[in-house]
Amino acid sequence: MKKYLILSILSLLILTGLFFYQNAKINDGKLHLVVCDVGQGDAIYLKTPSGKDILVDGGPNDSVLNCLTNNMPFWDRTIDLIVLTHPDADHITGLVSVLERYNVLHFVTSKTTKTTAIYKKFLNALEKEGLELKYVFAKDRIDFGDGTVSNIIWPDSSLFNSKQIRESGVNEYSVIQLISYGNFQALLTGDAGSLVMDEIAKDAGDIDILKIPHHGSKTGMSDYFLTEIKPEAAVISVGAKNRYGHPTQFSLDLLSKHNVKTLRTDKNGEIEIVTTGPDYEVYSN
Amino acid sequence: MKGSLIIFYVFLITILILRLHTFYSNQKTYTKGQEISFETQILSFPKTYTFYQTVYVNLDKTTKVLIRTDLDRQLNYGDYVKVSGTLDTILLSSGGTIFTLNNPEIEANFRENNPFLSSVYFIRQKIIDNFNSSLDPVSSSLLLGIVFGIKENMPKDFLDKIQITGVMHVVAASGMNVTMVSGFLFYLLGSLLKRQFAIALSIFGVIFYTALAGFEPSIIRAAIMGILVFSAQVLGRQQYSLNTLLITGAFMLFLWPQFVTDTGFALSFTATAGILFIPLFFQKVKNSFTEVFITTTSAQIATLPILIGAFGSFSLLSILVNALVLWTIPVLMILGAVAAFFGFIFKPAAVLFLYLSLPFLYFFEQTVYLFSELGVVVTFDNVPWQFSAGYYLLLISIILFLNKKNEKVFNS
Repeated sequence: MKKYLILSILSLLILTGLFFYQNAKINDGKLHLVVCDVGQGDAIYLKTPSGKDILVDGGPNDSVLNCLTNNMPFWDRTIDLIVLTHPDADHITGLVSVLERYNVLHFVTSKTTKTTAIYKKFLNALEKEGLELKYVFAKDRIDFGDGTVSNIIWPDSSLFNSKQIRESGVNEYSVIQLISYGNFQALLTGDAGSLVMDEIAKDAGDIDILKIPHHGSKTGMSDYFLTEIKPEAAVISVGAKNRYGHPTQFSLDLLSKHNVKTLRTDKNGEIEIVTTGPDYEVYSN
Repeated sequence: MKGSLIIFYVFLITILILRLHTFYSNQKTYTKGQEISFETQILSFPKTYTFYQTVYVNLDKTTKVLIRTDLDRQLNYGDYVKVSGTLDTILLSSGGTIFTLNNPEIEANFRENNPFLSSVYFIRQKIIDNFNSSLDPVSSSLLLGIVFGIKENMPKDFLDKIQITGVMHVVAASGMNVTMVSGFLFYLLGSLLKRQFAIALSIFGVIFYTALAGFEPSIIRAAIMGILVFSAQVLGRQQYSLNTLLITGAFMLFLWPQFVTDTGFALSFTATAGILFIPLFFQKVKNSFTEVFITTTSAQIATLPILIGAFGSFSLLSILVNALVLWTIPVLMILGAVAAFFGFIFKPAAVLFLYLSLPFLYFFEQTVYLFSELGVVVTFDNVPWQFSAGYYLLLISIILFLNKKNEKVFNS
């Protein structure tokens, strides 16, 4: 018995050390934006300067859980907000496991729906967690109270009939957010196409980081869009050797034409952007 | 005495052969394209993919079938289902073929009616949920594997690494888990109660644990073997245990003839034999720290040809990895069991014990990650039976020789 007592005390000491280490590393008063390496899909984790946890999409599998494990301290099992950009499988699947394993406080999405089995499973998980579908539209604003703001710039509420919920072409109704903290601005685009991007380009304005729309597909963005938003760096969330040929050469050429430093999850793994407001740094594995 | 024992074994073997013969000559055969309908209980964890789920079920006592169906109906461990469909086959990457049913009709998704079992399944699920809600997926699944042999939720890449580094036995419900549960209960109760009561209660504890671990044939088998080892250890009568082991093995084959072709049964049986006889030669170096290592190495020595035959590979580093991580198993079993218990009455205490287990789990995981990268794995395409036969003859000879030597030392 004495042996186990000694081991438990040792464990407690290591845990205390781990607590201080993770606390100092993670709660550093900066905004962290992590593009998770989840394969062919999207999952983006944000930690605000005051320690709020936000997850934008969950990717096509459970890899998002590894991303959360790597970026959240071991005692933090609460996610303050999940934003689902649209209900396609490569954005929603991982969220089922997240809802099962984490305490999720708020959930918002676009006013779209799907009849797929995984979407039904997701709705069940949402209900079990006691969350309702809450829709967001352009001009909505989510203030995290520490200088971090999510400005919703798409979809426009005028696109929806009052009762009808979109079932087809859900990509174009993706929730698009402009995340800002101090001077730092990142545009998270979901899977919307270039027509939508051209439409919102003026609202987005000059930004620092762009999450490339629709995994770098041919229809994701235009020359005009990049000219308007002038991103300094871009991140493509994409699976290695995916069957869609993402990212397309067209997108890569366009980015190189505009001198946008581009990172890809299939080549760079998990990509993290850490910002103090005025400055930011980009890390990858 | 010796003569009557030989007659007894001849009699036992004859009965067993008769039993196996009648069992196998009355088996149904299945073919691709055949329409079938059967009732079964789901005794493996369904796996969910983006658009469908798969689950292995028993078509009959000797045949498994992989069901692939949509996600509309949630299939759960322990459910009783009636399945109708057309049999198909798929070729596995290992070369074998298995039967499959694509989108069969699945009726009456009813839960376990037996109140004891349904409450056990409820408890089991609650423990899984509790562990999952406090620990990361790898740590949670590792702890569930170590304490209860539940490894269905384990991320596949980690499971592969566990296999590569040769510590799979740690996360499988095995005789070792059962021996530890019984040993721990006996140790705890032994100081409070009379020896006989402590043994009886420990065995009851093992039965409950077996139920919690899922009552699968493999776990029942592990429990029977585990109780055997435990009793032999407590009673200190190793000389009787060979007969007990052989009779138990024969008895189990009589009840479940399908075990005769089951790798799991062969592993359980040889591992138990190894644990019973090989540690006798390590008495001098045996202490509370080396005990687990000796036990596991004994089991590995005894099962080596079967492991290689079944998995086609053997990690040369596995002995080193085992030596590094095995000391964490007893403490993780205790912390995990206490956390599982508190999960029902006082959640914060459960969380505390789960956190206390984290440093040990991290150490275990990092060791596995490190050595899986080094990966000195010896692969074998085919193990000739002559190798296995020669290996076991040599092993038995060594055991008999050393045993004789030991006896001489004791007698002189």
